[in-house]
Amino acid sequence: MKILCDRTALQEAVNVVSSVVPAKTTKPILHNFLVRSSDNGITLFATDLEMAARVELDSVKVSKKGSVLLPARETGALLRELSDPTVTLESTDQRCRIESGGGNFVLLGEDPAQFPDEAKVKGGKRIEIEVGRMLRMIQETAFAAAREETRYAINGVLLDASAGTVRMVATDGRRLAISYATVPTKAECKVVVPLRALNTLARALSEGSKETLSIEVGDKQIVFVTGKAQLVSQLLETRFPDYEGVVPKSADTTVEITRAVLEGALRRSSVLCSSDMRVVRFEIGEQSLRMTADNSSRGRADVTIDAVVKGSGGSINFNPDYILEALRVCQLDTIRLDMSDDSMPAKFTLGEAFTYIVMPISGA
Amino acid sequence: MSALRTILHADMDAFYAAIEQRDHPEWRGKPVIVGGAGPRQVVSTASYEARTFGVRSAMPGVRAKQLCPHGIFVAPRMDAYEAVSAQVRAVFDRYTDLVEPLSLDEAFLDVTGSRALFGDGPTIAARIKAEVLSATQLTVSVGVASSKYVAKVASDLDKPDGLVVVAPGDERAFLAPLPVARLWGVGPALQQQLERAGLRTIGDVQSRSERDLVAAFGARLGEHLHVLANGLDARPVESERDAKSLGHELTFAEDLTTADEVHGVLLQLAEMVGRRLRRQGVRGGVVRLKLRYGDFTTFTRQRTVPATDDDLVIAGVARELLAESWDRARGVRLLGVIAASLAPAGAPAQRTLFDGDPRKRGSLLQAMDAIRDRHGDEAVRRAGERRLTTPFGPDGAPEAPAGGNAAP
Repeated sequence: MKILCDRTALQEAVNVVSSVVPAKTTKPILHNFLVRSSDNGITLFATDLEMAARVELDSVKVSKKGSVLLPARETGALLRELSDPTVTLESTDQRCRIESGGGNFVLLGEDPAQFPDEAKVKGGKRIEIEVGRMLRMIQETAFAAAREETRYAINGVLLDASAGTVRMVATDGRRLAISYATVPTKAECKVVVPLRALNTLARALSEGSKETLSIEVGDKQIVFVTGKAQLVSQLLETRFPDYEGVVPKSADTTVEITRAVLEGALRRSSVLCSSDMRVVRFEIGEQSLRMTADNSSRGRADVTIDAVVKGSGGSINFNPDYILEALRVCQLDTIRLDMSDDSMPAKFTLGEAFTYIVMPISGA
Repeated sequence: MSALRTILHADMDAFYAAIEQRDHPEWRGKPVIVGGAGPRQVVSTASYEARTFGVRSAMPGVRAKQLCPHGIFVAPRMDAYEAVSAQVRAVFDRYTDLVEPLSLDEAFLDVTGSRALFGDGPTIAARIKAEVLSATQLTVSVGVASSKYVAKVASDLDKPDGLVVVAPGDERAFLAPLPVARLWGVGPALQQQLERAGLRTIGDVQSRSERDLVAAFGARLGEHLHVLANGLDARPVESERDAKSLGHELTFAEDLTTADEVHGVLLQLAEMVGRRLRRQGVRGGVVRLKLRYGDFTTFTRQRTVPATDDDLVIAGVARELLAESWDRARGVRLLGVIAASLAPAGAPAQRTLFDGDPRKRGSLLQAMDAIRDRHGDEAVRRAGERRLTTPFGPDGAPEAPAGGNAAP
C-alpha cells in the first residue's frame, strides 16, 4: 500500500477512530487501527469489540492499494508532531514507513487479517437528527447516568423513539434527566446505549452543527453515521426503569430563578455542607429562595436570592451536586422549579426540551 | 486543666411517665407509675406527682402500691419510648456528632467543637431544651460543665426542666456542699464507711490529699474519689454509632436446598431486622448476609446501601448478596441477615425514584408492625415468606441466639 494524504485530515480521522481504542485490553492487537485503501480513498477502522469506529477519507492519493494495521497511540502522536501539510504512508509486510518533512519513521503493525471484522447491523430502524441537537441531548443526559455500584447501575442512556419524538433519558435512581427532540421519522424503538459509546460519539460531534446524524438501531447494535464517520456500539440489555411514572404531573409551588444567580448561590452554600451527607435546604419565601447548609463542625451558610414564586411555598432538601451538575449543561437564562412537598420528586425545567427530576433528602 | 471542654449531660424528666402523661391528658397532674403493676415487678419510672408519695424507680410494685394506692399503674410501652428517644437523639445530633447515650432518656454530649457555631455551652443547652420541648412536648434537664461527672451531677440538681451551668474553675466549689452519696460509685455501704472516716460532703473529700485517700481507701477507690471530688474527670464522650449492628440468624433442622426456601427465610429475617430497626428508630447503611453450609463453612458478604429500615429493601439486598455467593450444590444450614452502620432514623436520607412512595411504604410497614405487636408475629405475612417459628440446631435447640447487638 502506498498513499499520499493531507496530514490534518488524516490526523482528525485517526483521532476519531482512536477514541474507541481500549487503554487496556487482553487482546493487544486492539491497540491498532486498520487502514484499508481503495480506488477512491482510504478507510480507518478501530474497535474494542463493544464499539467500533470507522472513518472514510477521500483527500488521499492512492498509488498502491492494500491494508495495514498501525499502532493507534504512536501514529496519532506522530501526526501531531509533524509539520508538513502532507504525509506519505508506504507499507510492506507489516511495516509502515511514514515520510514527511520532519524525517522518516517506521511503524511496526500487525497482520491485518487477524483484526476483527466490522459487524453487520441487523434489523435496523433509521432516525435522522441534527448533529448539534444530538450533542445537546447527550450533554443534557449523560451526566445523570449511574456510574458506581448502586441498584441502578445502568451505565447507559435510554434512547426512546416514538411518534416523531426522540427522548434520551438517564438516571441513577436518585435523579433523572430527560432531553427530547422532534424528528421527521416515525421509527419506534426503546434501547439502552452504553455511556461510553455516547461519550465517544459526543467527542466526534460539533456544537451547533446543522449536519445530519443518522442513527440506525438494530436488535443488538446501534450505528451512528455523520459525514464520513461511523460509530457502531453494542446495546445494553439492561431493563430501564419506568421513567414516565416518576415525572411529577402537577406541582403545588412553582419557582422561577435566574440560572447564573442560582448556580453561584448554590455553589457558595454547598461549601458548608456536612461531609458525610451533602445537603442544602431550599426554603421558598414569598418572592425569594433561601438556601442554607450546615456543617456542625465547620460552619454554616445562609444565602437568599430573588425568585418568582407561585403557590404555597415550603422547603425541601437537595444534594447540591445533583443540581449543580445539571446547571452546568443548562443554557436557559431563567429556569423553573416545580415542587410539591419535601418527600416528593422535584422537577427542574432547564431547557425547552430538557427536564430534570431530583429526589429530595428527607429528615435533614 | 480540663476547662477547655464543654460537656452536656441531658436527662429527660421522668421520661416514661412523662410520655404516658403526654399521651393521656387525663393522667396529667396525677401520680403515674410505669411498671410495677404485677406482684413481682419493679417500678420503671414514677411521675413527679408519684414521687411526692415516696415512689422511686426500681422500687417493688407492692411497695409502690402501699405508698400510693391511688396511683395510676401503667405497663411500659417500650416502642413508644424508643420512638421518642430517637426524636430527642435527632435534636442532639444537630449540635454535635459526639453523643454518648447512657439509656433511652439520658446522654452525654461533647459540644466543645460546636461552640463557635452555636454559641457557648449554656446557649447550646438552652437551644436543645427548647428543641426537645417543641419536638416531643417533654422537658429535659441539662447540666453544663467541663467534665462528664460534673455535668451529670449538675443535670440532676434542678429537676425537672433544669439547666445548671458549672463554669470552668467553679467545679470544686460547686461540688463541695454536696453529700458524698453524689459521688459515682458511692452506695449506702460505702457512704457509711466514708462518713465514719469523717467524710460527709464532697468538700470533706476535697480537703484530703490524694495520698491520704489512697492510704485510707486503697489505690483504686482513693484515686477515684480524689478525681471525682475535685472535678478532674477526664473521660471522653464516646459516640457509639459506628460499631453497632443488629441482626437475626436461623439454623435449620435440615439444610435448605431450594431457592424458594432460602428466599422465604431471607424475607422473614429481613422483616425481623427491619422491625427492630424501626423500633429502635435507626437505619442501617450496610446490609450483611451470613451463610453457613452443611459442612459448617461460613461466609459473610455485605453491601453499602442508602440508609434503610425497609424490610423489602433489606430482603432485596440480602437476595442479591446470596445470588453472588451461594453455591447451589451445597445445602444451607444457617442464614443470617444483619444491618450495620446504624444511624438514627431522623438522620438525612437521600430518597430514591423507583422504590415506591416512601410514605406509603412507611405506613404499610407501620401498619404491619402494629398488627404484629397486637396479634403476634403470625398475624400478617407476606406472600412467599417462609416463617420458621422453631429453628432447630443439631440437638433440637436453637444453635445461636436469634439476634442481639453483636458486631460480628
